[in-house]
Amino acid sequence: MIVEFKLNGEDVKVETGLAMRLLDVIRNDFKLTGTKEGCAEGECGACIVFLDGMIVNSCMVPMNNVIGREVVTIEGFSKTDRYKIIEKAFMEEGAVQCGFCTPGMMMATEGLLRLGIALTEENIKEGLSGNICRCTGYQAIYRAVRKLSQEAVLND
Amino acid sequence: MIDCRRPETVDQLMEILDSGKYRIFAGGTDLMIRKRQWQGAERRFDEDIVFIDQIDELKGITEDKEHYHIKTCTSHNNIEKSLVLPEYIRLPYRLMGNPAIRNVASVGGNVVNAAQVADSLPLLYALDAKILLKSKSGSRILNIDEFIKGKYKTDIRENEFLYEIIIPKYHIRGFRYKKVGSRKASILSKFSVVFLYGKKEDKIDFIKVAIGAVNECPVRNKDAEEKFIENHDVEDFLATMRKDLHGEDDKRSSKLYREEISLRLVAEYLNEVLRGDSYE
Repeated sequence: MIVEFKLNGEDVKVETGLAMRLLDVIRNDFKLTGTKEGCAEGECGACIVFLDGMIVNSCMVPMNNVIGREVVTIEGFSKTDRYKIIEKAFMEEGAVQCGFCTPGMMMATEGLLRLGIALTEENIKEGLSGNICRCTGYQAIYRAVRKLSQEAVLND
Repeated sequence: MIDCRRPETVDQLMEILDSGKYRIFAGGTDLMIRKRQWQGAERRFDEDIVFIDQIDELKGITEDKEHYHIKTCTSHNNIEKSLVLPEYIRLPYRLMGNPAIRNVASVGGNVVNAAQVADSLPLLYALDAKILLKSKSGSRILNIDEFIKGKYKTDIRENEFLYEIIIPKYHIRGFRYKKVGSRKASILSKFSVVFLYGKKEDKIDFIKVAIGAVNECPVRNKDAEEKFIENHDVEDFLATMRKDLHGEDDKRSSKLYREEISLRLVAEYLNEVLRGDSYE
């Protein structure tokens, strides 16, 4: 059937099944390959996108649950000023090695910032607890997020 | 080719469920994985599906004088952030999965799947929760321990769906909750312990203890709880609970570890209450 939703700010239509994964549709039908498939079971966070502004694992979201809603992928998010602030912090702290987890890690970081809570060690770990990185050992990523003081981001 | 249906209202949902055998699909955090398939392929469902996440009537948390009502498609995140629900209900939901999962995982899904490791079940057992089922032929309310029949088994009929979970309000004075797993996030429990108590004029009025993920269903013994209020005998309570535990060795943990450590935690919590330690 034809599924209509908003993708990165544009109204889109796609011929697909209601039980297809959002992940497959954004990668295969829309060729937006910044969203990665890692574990395919909601543990690694490489496939995180925003669905109506909340982070979700697109490997677990059926297209039915996307109808009439708004999806933003890393490609859409990368056009924002907020993205650039996070990108800068990740680069400065060396929070990227192979880069496979990075899109999801940055989306989860934005998801954490949107909660508007203090960026304490504990909150950062909790906010990124659904994202797995096999290269960095996490410390550089935590440092990058800690750098994003809430004021700097919110005043943007 | 399977049939996928998308009702917009509860009435339409009941019509569909009455017309044939359908698998009910809410957030997808369990079913999308259980039916996993190669990249780019539709999930491998072998039965017709009815999606319910889009039905607004099935979302929300309300309260009346005696109960909290949680509709089936309410997400774990909505529970976490709820201003209506007390902390002893919110905490177990906050420790499940990870933030992205909790944004979509439904409250009803965790109950209806009836997994041995479903972390909401021990809480619902401890709080004597009730399950409201609806169908075209009417409604039924079951106690949670009547509804859950075993691992992945419930008493739901083919034309029924879980409408809401009803949790009685108690004067809970303090509580403890411990989930034990190999890591903190995104993990299936080795076991979990829910412990709640109430007091009347500084005397322990009731305790409610449930152990999850050891047996196929959570373990609770109301007779032992009542006896404890009379005799304050921790060893006696543990001995009774021990008889009820029938764990098994599996990839998550061993029978010995689960039974021994869950009971030690219960002992610690009981002793804390008897000593009058404050964790209210």
